[in-house]
Amino acid sequence: MKEEKENLEEIKKEIAIERLRQAPPSIKVSFGTADGKFMNRDEMIKQIQSDTEIGKKIMKMQLEYLKAFKKEILAGD
Amino acid sequence: MISVVCVLFSRPDDDITLNYLSYFSKELVELSNSSGFKTINKESKKANKKNILSLIKNQCPNLIMFNGHGSPKIICGHKREIIVNSEENPEVLKNSITYSLSCASALVLGPKSVEKGAISFIGYESDFALGKDPESEASPRHDKIAKLFLEPSNILFSSLLNGYNVQTAVEKAKNKMKENIWYLNTTKSFPEAIYYAPFLFGNYLGLVAHGDKNASI
Repeated sequence: MKEEKENLEEIKKEIAIERLRQAPPSIKVSFGTADGKFMNRDEMIKQIQSDTEIGKKIMKMQLEYLKAFKKEILAGD
Repeated sequence: MISVVCVLFSRPDDDITLNYLSYFSKELVELSNSSGFKTINKESKKANKKNILSLIKNQCPNLIMFNGHGSPKIICGHKREIIVNSEENPEVLKNSITYSLSCASALVLGPKSVEKGAISFIGYESDFALGKDPESEASPRHDKIAKLFLEPSNILFSSLLNGYNVQTAVEKAKNKMKENIWYLNTTKSFPEAIYYAPFLFGNYLGLVAHGDKNASI
């Protein structure tokens, strides 16, 4: 059971990373971190790979977005 | 005797992200002024704990906008000085409608401030993400991506300044976010646009209001 959960987390992580890899390296996003700096694509991927708090949040944003499409929340009203 | 509506702005700008928030909220200060409200604007190093808490105590603002870094329990000012803390002084927001443009402060501080007498607290339960156009380095004025992230926030606060209630202001902001997400997904103007959409969607999901949603100034 624990192993299944860990595998699922790894899959989620890979999905988020692969989605980010499709983006141009120059995209920049700030998540209000202490220094106020913007992260580029590779810095965001590194955060996810390193399991940091901000990496988990970035992963969550990517997955929530995919879920939203599934639920058709964004289906233009 | 008619009492004048008082609006307080806390706008630190000591890093690049805050500089963007400060730049985009300037038009809200102007709108508040031109609407005839008593407008108190504390920016840069004047957006500090001593100034802001003193103004809240003495001027009793009806509406407060905080730009700044934050976390579930806090809102910060200049140089990350904590101004409001859910465990220390959530009662300072009593009798006010607050909009907190900061990370995650609606998660704990929001409900706590309402419990302690705030009329309403609008903010984000998750980190506020801000996209930036890499080609308009450090120039908020020319940043077409940042505009898509901060326009909805400005619509929210300008709606409050225009007398709409909290619920309507939040709905207007969310509708603008959805519109901008669609734009990011469909525009051919710049190819990287679509990759910013999940981050703006995170803001859409995170935006909430606590307290009286029918309240207005």
